Amino acid sequence: MNLDFGIIAVVWPALLKGSLVTVQLTLAVLICATPLAVLVALGRDSKIPALRLPLAVFSAVLRGIPPLLVLFIVFFGLPPAGITLDPFPSAVLAMTCYMAFYFGEVFRGGLQSVPPDQWRAAEALGLKPSRTVVRIILPQTLPAVLPPYISHATEVLKGTALATAVAVPELTSAARQVFVVTFRPFEVLIVAALIYAVLDGILLTLQYWGERWAARTGTSIRF
Amino acid sequence: MRTDLLAEYWPTIWNGFLITVLLSFVVLAVSTPIAFFLALARQSQLAVLRWPAGIYVNVFRALPVLIILYFAFYALPQFGMSLTAFQAATAGLVIASSAYLAEDIRAGLAAVDPGQRHAATALGIPYWRSLRRIYLPQAIPIALPPYITRAIIIVKGTALASLVAVNDLTAEAVRAISITYRPYEFLAVAAILYLVINALLAALQSFTERHIALRYGRVAAGPAAVAQ
Repeated sequence: MNLDFGIIAVVWPALLKGSLVTVQLTLAVLICATPLAVLVALGRDSKIPALRLPLAVFSAVLRGIPPLLVLFIVFFGLPPAGITLDPFPSAVLAMTCYMAFYFGEVFRGGLQSVPPDQWRAAEALGLKPSRTVVRIILPQTLPAVLPPYISHATEVLKGTALATAVAVPELTSAARQVFVVTFRPFEVLIVAALIYAVLDGILLTLQYWGERWAARTGTSIRF
Repeated sequence: MRTDLLAEYWPTIWNGFLITVLLSFVVLAVSTPIAFFLALARQSQLAVLRWPAGIYVNVFRALPVLIILYFAFYALPQFGMSLTAFQAATAGLVIASSAYLAEDIRAGLAAVDPGQRHAATALGIPYWRSLRRIYLPQAIPIALPPYITRAIIIVKGTALASLVAVNDLTAEAVRAISITYRPYEFLAVAAILYLVINALLAALQSFTERHIALRYGRVAAGPAAVAQ
């Protein structure tokens, strides 16, 4: 067996392009899923059953079936309903759907870590509920939420590889297209793996800083 | 709702379901002992064991599982190793799953008070016996709930095998959709079958949390565990 890494000199533009799509997809999913996840977390513990129960069912279903199946549900399920999306937006939509619930559980844990007195105190001071959430509750959940948030963000990054199944030209799909033509799967996959490792490394560095920040802030925020 | 189409394709869907169950079972059965020894190696005092295990666990957890499956399916033949699709999917999923499971098991082992190990060493109890009699009875109840959570993730992960030519539940559902152009029926059936497997695992989880954890917890706390 002779490995020929010289092939990378020829195919790197395709891999770079794929990496950019992977980064875009990761960011798009994070930007869409994060605010939704806050709403999911608030709704899951809401006093209104009409809000709480459907969200509990959605959460159980979307976290109980394979992410790949969620992608196929969006990819195959929307066109007959009259909605046709390009591969990239349909991948963003599918991943946002299930990640909102995974992140929702993270935020729920964070919200439960805030003493309920804080809600009551804000109410007693006459703050509106929306203002209470934004000004009082969310800032206090940040130290508890940041480390698990970033570790779920690495799941988003790795999960973008699934988008290859619905024809999004991200890194895994670019790698496959390249090695199918060059017959050099090992060399191409090693480089793709290294790129994923670098992107992971960036998120892990953020997590490291985030945890240090959380350790500092988490102790000083108690009154 | 076209129940006639569902009936027509039910045998292939059921076949796919059985392959998903078989794949999940084989992957769990093979990766659990590997993960257990990886977890022990990561706790070892010998750097020759600790380092390779640490690299294995951290490298394979950093990569998308699909990339690992592609290695097994597309890159191994380059080295003269031709596996069937099912074997390649099993190999790829075992490599990924054992890395994740090793971390869950290690967390369980790490949760046992290290004083227990020192005490066992001081009493002259050999390593393997102290592991079996003292360490594991305390670590298993702690590691079991996260183990089953991970098992659910692994079952969901077997859907990736459909992307390397394994005819599992997801693959058969997608095939039925592309022949019949009826997505809702088959997507719903596939989703329900996955939910059934995971509901069984979740039920097992709450059962173990209530019964086994309690029983082992009591045994481990009493003097009887150490006496034998």
